[in-house]
Amino acid sequence: MMQPQQPYTGQIFHPTQTYTPTTSQPFYGNNFEDEPPLLEELGINFDHIWQKTLTVLHPLKVADGSIMNETDLAGPMVFCLAFGATLLLAGKIQFGYVYGISAIGCLGMFCLLNLMSMTGVSFGCVASVLGYCLLPMILLSSFAVIFSLQGMVGIILTAGIIGWCSFSASKIFISALAMEGQQLLVAYPCALLYGVFALISVF
Amino acid sequence: MHPAGAAAAGTPRQPSKRRIPVSPPGMADPHQLFDDTSSAQSRGFGAQRGPGGLGYPAAAASPQEAFLADPVSNMAMAYGSSLAAQGKELVDKNIDRFIPVTKLKYYFAVDTMYVGKKLGLLFFPYLHQDWEVQYQQDTPVAPRFDINAPDLYIPAMAFITYILVAGLALGTQDRFSPDLLGLQASSALAWLTLEVLAILLSLYLLTVNTDLTTIDLVAFLGYKYVGMIGGVLMGLLFGKIGYYLVLGWCCVSIFVFMIRTLRLKILAEAAAQGVPVRGARNQLRMYLTMAVAAAQPLLMYWLTFHLVR
Repeated sequence: MMQPQQPYTGQIFHPTQTYTPTTSQPFYGNNFEDEPPLLEELGINFDHIWQKTLTVLHPLKVADGSIMNETDLAGPMVFCLAFGATLLLAGKIQFGYVYGISAIGCLGMFCLLNLMSMTGVSFGCVASVLGYCLLPMILLSSFAVIFSLQGMVGIILTAGIIGWCSFSASKIFISALAMEGQQLLVAYPCALLYGVFALISVF
Repeated sequence: MHPAGAAAAGTPRQPSKRRIPVSPPGMADPHQLFDDTSSAQSRGFGAQRGPGGLGYPAAAASPQEAFLADPVSNMAMAYGSSLAAQGKELVDKNIDRFIPVTKLKYYFAVDTMYVGKKLGLLFFPYLHQDWEVQYQQDTPVAPRFDINAPDLYIPAMAFITYILVAGLALGTQDRFSPDLLGLQASSALAWLTLEVLAILLSLYLLTVNTDLTTIDLVAFLGYKYVGMIGGVLMGLLFGKIGYYLVLGWCCVSIFVFMIRTLRLKILAEAAAQGVPVRGARNQLRMYLTMAVAAAQPLLMYWLTFHLVR
């Protein structure tokens, strides 16, 4: 920061040379070519996103505990927007509900997991896992665009998708937080949260 | 006059293609934060600054405003992030004063077996023999290891499920709106708070020496939501008959459950072992236990009858 004791020798609108930027990023690098690529600087790593998506899509595959080490909110954001977009295709303009419910649900899961696990968990990690496991719900809502889900087939499909989402979410939480014997206990609140999303898709 | 001005006139600027401003060859310091803007070349500078700074419109990039945009925005960002870090520290420090997090963690140390067995106990408490909580060196054992220990996972999940099921029930009757959900939630919470306060008051007035903490009490009083959910779901599937049958069964079960659990906590040891001890004190305590247990079915009915038509 600027030292105030230094006598002002410059002209107005000329910065003194003692000003140092407080940001730690190498933003004002020497050369344009030396800068890291934009995606890397933003922290979006498409390979990791793809790996995590595959983990969600294979519910029976054992999850690796270290995949949630870096908190990545770009993927979940994309999935939330895609969910809202598929709802929009079905004629329901409910982005606000999606965001509100995600926020409340993430907060609730954050409190619960912090109380239930030995190690704590950060809010970003919870939001990231819950966002990734929203992917099957996008399948459900895109299905709802074409067929109505209010018959017996719809109910069975909805129940199956909710089970799939909550099973993957609980699997990732269990492996990342090393909680034994609590998978169903973690899956139940996830199922409640995804049930609310399913309610929005169906009705 | 200004080497930067000459450089600005000299170097062709393509503001849309570059993310950072080119450091003019005259300036030796590569970490200089911004260009000299006092020249009349503010138009190019303003367009460059637009995406990077505070989104300043190019028209407003007069020398004075452009001077203010960048260092102030960086300082503001640094200040904001340090403020956020301070705020987080403050919350972490103070949250332990209002919400005893470590004590709460005891009540959430559950596993699936415990929850299954406890739910079975809530619906069928008639065959369970030993209701005493085991102790391990003066501290009660975690709920994971003793089915008689109270926990907060079941009441919390039951409460949230009750609100969602209430929303579902209202939805099937076409009476649903999101603020009704909030209304249900707050009325149920209000009744719970009222119950807890009433029981704490009576315990105080009767000078009962018990190790029943407030959180224990909240846990015990929260177990009735399980029965309520069962009743409402049956009511949705099978109509009023199903609702009354299941609710009746759950009311009797929770009555027996509460009596057997609270007897050990509120009554003196002699009375708890089934030996009838005459004395006003023990009689009053017995009445208190009966009153608490009887309040449960009443509240269960009160909070659910309007959901099933």
